[in-house]
Amino acid sequence: MVNTLLQLESITFGYTDQPLFAGVNLALAAGDMAALLGPNGTGKTTLLMLATGALHPQRGRVMLNGHDLRSLPRRTIARQIAVVPQTFATPFAFTVRELVGLGRTPYTSFLGTEKAADRQAIEEALEATGVAALAGRIFNELSGGEKQRVALALALAQQPKLLLLDEPTAHLDLKYQIGVLELAQHLNRERGITIFATMHDLNLAARYFPRLILFQRGIVADGPPVEALQGRLLRRVYEVPVEIGILHGAEHLSILPPTSSSREQHTVPEHEPKQPHPAIHVIGGGGSAAILMRGLADADIPFSIGALNLGDSDHALAQRLAAEVISEQPYAPIASETAERVRAALRQAQAQIICPTLIGPGNLVLLRLALEAAQEKLPAILLEPSSAAFPESTHLPENPSTLARIAARDYTNGEGLAIYTALLSAGAQIAKDVPAAIDLLRAAVNSSHVAR
Amino acid sequence: MQTTRPTDSAEQPTPLLQTLAGSEQAAALSQKNAALADESASRRRWKRAVIVLPILCVGLLIALVLATTIGSVPISAAEIVKMTLNSTGLFHFRRTWGDADEIIIFQLRLPHVIGAALVGAALAVGGVLFQGLLRNPLADPYLIGISAGSGLGITIGFALPASLLFFGFGQIAAFAFVGAIVAVVLVYWLARVGGRTPVVSLLLAGMVVTALMNAIQALLLYLYPGLQLRLRSVIGWLWGGIAVQDWGQVGTAALLILSGILLALSFSSTLNALALGEEGATYLGVNVERQKTLLIAVASLLTAAAVTIAGLVGFVGLVVPHALRLVIGPGHRLLLPASALGGALFLVIADLLARSLIAPSELPLGVLTALVGGPFFLYLLRRSGRDYRW
Repeated sequence: MVNTLLQLESITFGYTDQPLFAGVNLALAAGDMAALLGPNGTGKTTLLMLATGALHPQRGRVMLNGHDLRSLPRRTIARQIAVVPQTFATPFAFTVRELVGLGRTPYTSFLGTEKAADRQAIEEALEATGVAALAGRIFNELSGGEKQRVALALALAQQPKLLLLDEPTAHLDLKYQIGVLELAQHLNRERGITIFATMHDLNLAARYFPRLILFQRGIVADGPPVEALQGRLLRRVYEVPVEIGILHGAEHLSILPPTSSSREQHTVPEHEPKQPHPAIHVIGGGGSAAILMRGLADADIPFSIGALNLGDSDHALAQRLAAEVISEQPYAPIASETAERVRAALRQAQAQIICPTLIGPGNLVLLRLALEAAQEKLPAILLEPSSAAFPESTHLPENPSTLARIAARDYTNGEGLAIYTALLSAGAQIAKDVPAAIDLLRAAVNSSHVAR
Repeated sequence: MQTTRPTDSAEQPTPLLQTLAGSEQAAALSQKNAALADESASRRRWKRAVIVLPILCVGLLIALVLATTIGSVPISAAEIVKMTLNSTGLFHFRRTWGDADEIIIFQLRLPHVIGAALVGAALAVGGVLFQGLLRNPLADPYLIGISAGSGLGITIGFALPASLLFFGFGQIAAFAFVGAIVAVVLVYWLARVGGRTPVVSLLLAGMVVTALMNAIQALLLYLYPGLQLRLRSVIGWLWGGIAVQDWGQVGTAALLILSGILLALSFSSTLNALALGEEGATYLGVNVERQKTLLIAVASLLTAAAVTIAGLVGFVGLVVPHALRLVIGPGHRLLLPASALGGALFLVIADLLARSLIAPSELPLGVLTALVGGPFFLYLLRRSGRDYRW
């Protein structure tokens, strides 16, 4: 059982009325070493600040060992979480020893008297960061690399469980960048300090962090470098073509900026068979469309989706991935104007995909619209993943277990099921998983293209 | 591919870590030598601190006695010491002085000199608090509207015909105190946005309130005929000067100022953390907004108490903490008590000079401190470009 140290629970935050990001979930286990990656201005540092408790989310909460940061005294937080901010400066001429001693503030009384334990923690922090020899020097007279290590020493003197680093390699030359990250890795491995850092340099992040979180107003990818650093994801997040590979003789992924030739290549769409962009409409909700949306985005297939209620778990992801999102007020049934927008989207679409969402009186109108479109010869694909509860299910459309699954999530006294049955008789096809759905989609679009 | 080389070298983790550690050791050695050569700053500071506090104590005692001896009637230092010791009832030196001398010392000079010491200590400690709070070594205890508020209070006090007494103080002194507190409360209220008091809005609100109150004061002086006749007295207050009439006033001021200084000492840890900025202090476990409110309250109380018995004496709160920072470093645990002693010493001497330079006439105390403080302030400004990072 992994021990969760810090948990961000559906965090919504914005500096203005417009949220910068909404519904972000992230858990850091004790012993993690994770880097937060993403372009400037997409909320990386803000997310880190929320994790420190210096900022409070407008919605959701940040839990430290199961306690809401909001309800914990600052002193208690400071004994668990240490922060190395991007800029670390003081107008006064403190010595390095005095400055690192400030790390003991959460442990000392209001007079700031240092006890033996405090002095030991300070000495250890100075030793661990290699600045013991600088202890007597004036901080403001040090070089950038030395200052960064002093900032780390101050954080270590707090004896934290979680170390948050905001751009720890910014303003440092290569030697010190590597030095700081080696140190962070050492602290993580030898002392079990959990490390969470925002990073700009993808290569250094891939080299030193076992867990990468790609962030762009929401978590786009979260996993080891191989998973998080995919060309498609990076191209979408950073909006530049990049090449990813393992350089000759190396063990780690490397990300290369585009050469002038590859930039030219990119302007010509590079997907293998030259086909027109299919226009797809997706009907989903309640998280049922999440995997499909990621699949479509990774296949570079633009799609519209809707209607989705604001705050729906599919809605946040859709805003990042979909070409168009048709939105409805939170918790409200689909209004007639919204239904008209869905109808218009379906008219322009070359195919529609209906995700296995719960069927209720609120979204029944969407199924009716889908049926209407299907009867007007718009290819329909029903995404119906075979779940463990129905191991006997086969691919046959008339398989009763598929209908049984639909019936099980139908809360409209059979009306929804009736529409599904009608959809099937209008020629809708069933896909067992997302790749199958995309294959069916391509086939449907190609044939309709030929037909026209 | 030419890009392979750097990644290749980064691919040998252990040697890299070793080289880094190796180079660090080498660097550490050279730094150690350098440090030994010019002796580490923290040790130097510690040694100085051990010396500085006792020196300031002794210096203050000597200055107090010296300041008491000098005046229109010469009384020797030995006699003053004997007189004072006799008054405790524990000593019985033979009287070589007359009753008039005793009255001059106990009723006139000692309250005056002790008042000067209290004002100096209050202003210097107030300066340290504001400088630490605003993270600016050039901050002054009058920065957030106190000078303008008490100036206006003093002017209104002179404009009113009646002569009232508040807690043993004349109405001028009382109005100076009230004006200072009103100005700070106004500035704080204006600067407070959504439960927070950003330093920038504190400074801006301070400027606005200062400008506003200065204008009202000018208007009063310009339009009110009674004030023009008493302009000299008004200016006397505005330029500062120790004005204590009796021990009761000194006692009240001492109660305010000494308890303020004691409270200030309890902020040393917070002030040190605030040197890293409000964000940095938050990460160190400081409840920044609450501490900021308390700091402003204590610093304002100290300054207002000083204004009440001395009018506006400038530059003490700037010069004394800064000079001491150069000697013992910026750590507030030492800086606060040292500033209290240093401020007292500075103002007792300044007051002595103000009284004796053009005797029997007196120079305004604020003029004298500004004459010393002005050039020093310029020197700080010129230095700050090099040594301090904002």
